[in-house]
Amino acid sequence: MTSPVRGKRLAACLALTAVPLAVSAAPSALTEPYIPETMPPGFRVEASELDGPVFADAQGRTLYRWPFRTMRNGVTGDGKGESNCADTASTESAGLMSPYPGGLVLPEVEKRPSCQAMWPPAFAKDGDKAVGKWSVVTRRDGRRQWAYDGSVLYTSVRDRRPGDVLAGDSYRHEGDAPAMRDPIQPKPDVPPGFGVTTTLRGRLLHTARGFSVYAFDRDTRARSACDSACEQVFVPMQAPATANAHGDWSIFTRASGERQWMFRGRPLYRHEGDDRVHSLEGSDVPGWRNVYTQETAPPPAEFTVQDTPSGQVLADKRGRTIYSYTCGDDAPDQLSCERPDDTQVYRLGMCGGGSAERCERNFPYVEAVREAGGSGRLWSVVEIDPTTGHFAAKDQPGALRVWAYRERPVYTFAGDQQPGEVNADGLGDFQAEREGFRAFWWRDDFFRE
Amino acid sequence: MRIRGSLWIATAALIAAAGARADGAAPPGRTIAYVVTNLSWALESTPEMTECPHGLNDGVREQFKLLFPESAGNKRTLVDTQLRRQVESYQPTTAPDTLPFLEGEGPVAPGVDLDDVAGPEDFTSPDGARGIDNQMHRVLGCIANYRAPDGPIRFFEDEMVLRENYNRIIVQLVGVDSLADDPDVDVMFFRGRDKVLVDAGGLKALPGGTQRIDTRWGGRYIRRTRGRIDKGVLTTEPVDLLYPWDAFYMPTDQYMWGARLQLKLTPEGAEGLIAGYTDVETWYMHMLRNWSAHYQSYGRSSGPSIYKAMRRLADGIPDPVTGANRAISSALAAKFTEVRVLPFSGAEVAAIAEAKPGVPYRGMPAPRPAAEELAETRGSPPRTTNGSVPGNP
Repeated sequence: MTSPVRGKRLAACLALTAVPLAVSAAPSALTEPYIPETMPPGFRVEASELDGPVFADAQGRTLYRWPFRTMRNGVTGDGKGESNCADTASTESAGLMSPYPGGLVLPEVEKRPSCQAMWPPAFAKDGDKAVGKWSVVTRRDGRRQWAYDGSVLYTSVRDRRPGDVLAGDSYRHEGDAPAMRDPIQPKPDVPPGFGVTTTLRGRLLHTARGFSVYAFDRDTRARSACDSACEQVFVPMQAPATANAHGDWSIFTRASGERQWMFRGRPLYRHEGDDRVHSLEGSDVPGWRNVYTQETAPPPAEFTVQDTPSGQVLADKRGRTIYSYTCGDDAPDQLSCERPDDTQVYRLGMCGGGSAERCERNFPYVEAVREAGGSGRLWSVVEIDPTTGHFAAKDQPGALRVWAYRERPVYTFAGDQQPGEVNADGLGDFQAEREGFRAFWWRDDFFRE
Repeated sequence: MRIRGSLWIATAALIAAAGARADGAAPPGRTIAYVVTNLSWALESTPEMTECPHGLNDGVREQFKLLFPESAGNKRTLVDTQLRRQVESYQPTTAPDTLPFLEGEGPVAPGVDLDDVAGPEDFTSPDGARGIDNQMHRVLGCIANYRAPDGPIRFFEDEMVLRENYNRIIVQLVGVDSLADDPDVDVMFFRGRDKVLVDAGGLKALPGGTQRIDTRWGGRYIRRTRGRIDKGVLTTEPVDLLYPWDAFYMPTDQYMWGARLQLKLTPEGAEGLIAGYTDVETWYMHMLRNWSAHYQSYGRSSGPSIYKAMRRLADGIPDPVTGANRAISSALAAKFTEVRVLPFSGAEVAAIAEAKPGVPYRGMPAPRPAAEELAETRGSPPRTTNGSVPGNP
């Protein structure tokens, strides 16, 4: 089936090849509306740039849970009302993944932290009592720990400021990923029939079935410029007769008498041509754009976007695809091994056979220009000792200033010869869901959001 | 059920018309297109395993046990065992394999004579043609993952061709005077954008579906060549071909140097071989990205052993600098179903004209030296599960 707007869309698509990113200093100030809940005294909701509203303790530290997760050869994580995050460091692999056995001595075992050292439990004080979905659980060591909806809660030593979700991994939950920790969140304030999903660009608004929602630039408050022919392609999001306006949500009546939802004064539509969830294809039509409850800060201005056979990737200024490195070790506590302050043994093995010099030649860091600085919380410039892969000491000679996403350095792959090549995407264990390099997908029309 | 007279006549006329097209009539507009629905490496896989007289190869799991046996008082470290094997997989070298590798043997293997020479390493095809170049059969022929009918990787890679739009390879023939005989047709490869029309079961492709050309994301897959049809068999001139072939939602491609089609055509579909020299580094990276050690273990394959064998048996496209062959003779067993490609728009015609063909992957820019692997494996004497076996120097 072809769309009536096919010709225009194609022209727009062709013009999009290898576009530089727009320069923007900061993310939009708008944050996602949420449904307030009763919380323990002092607890609060903080706005995070990536995941939207998150619950935080009285000090503003984001609260995480560690959901029970079935791995290839067993389970790990917390069951309801119990904590499996130990205060002693794991020393051997658990064999939770396949095909390698457990019982292997973990790398740099003498320096390995305990689960609790990385994920301090959110302890409750004497006298703290259950309220709403919040409860207090007595741990095996006799101490009391907060739980939400039955899941015990932690903070992270990685987070430093209220609204940080530097340790969270909700964006990357995929089939064979490690058992990760999620920030806990209040429900987004969207009417029935809508939902919100975290994406690299922001919190994407969609229908309850996951199909993207769009707005039209030519619409004004309570007036739709989408005529009857247009409606065949962009279908108005109907509001039921019983629906009421509230918060950022309102309703207007179209000329046909149909009631249509508006978000922040913009009429909403779905795109008839979308055949996959979280699609961005409707925004190829001039004047139409996806709707986000909040947007992330743009990537560094010196980055570009390149077309690939599967969609668009972030790339450096030469057009080379940018990759992130993912790693969770196969220990019972499933700690991260992907940050510069974690062990570098896995990464150096993967990209250089153990040689930092070869690693840097195969997967060079994306160096930042002298004056560069991050915008928002997600992109930053960090200093790296290239001989070890760890963060550099202050004023360390030979240190590289490199771009990082959520404090993890990003890389290019010297094996990509042309812009738009993604030759190292998925290189690693379980398509790099477990460990390895993944391209920074800005848009994927075939496999992922 | 009785068929009334007029219906008989109409039915007979339709059958006759279809027969006429198959026997020589030109397709509508002298154009016909086919979409690939099945793809697998063409290997000789007999139930008796005559091509594998020493059995099938070990995979990651079996090799790990051979290399790093458990023993009392010897605590194994992850770095010296698992990570070492992962490094050998991600950073493969041509250092000789310390483990046995069982090659697929002859004399029979499917394929095409790519070099017009009947050499000692060549095979005879199942229908008796000599000089068949298919060294890929030696590499994959005795690995359970790739054998017909149900090797796990073979099964999934074949299934994904139909399932994933990413893999929507289309071959369009233009200027066709007859599907039975035509000495000169224009052959165009490109990627489609749409799902394939299937039956109610969802697994059988049906002819007559429509496809749009993908010029936005798929420009690098656009190629042209020429061909001829002789007795209903299309044979094309060689063309270097990048083609999409993802397995589990990972955008991966394969590259075949000098690819040529040898397809039996009908109005409803086509079936046969795509033969040429498969680029070794592209093939191996494709395998690594789609099939982690876990999946390799499904059907007992081992990345490092395959890489060494593939480099050892590569027989085409010598590197201009090193002289080492970059590609290995191979063939793909392919099935196609007829599709109607929507007429190209002006923008699509322009995009086709400007399309730059994709290139093969060239390997790790800073590869691990073979000597480094040799030094590491020295002291790890070869162990076998199959006794003394040929095929590994």
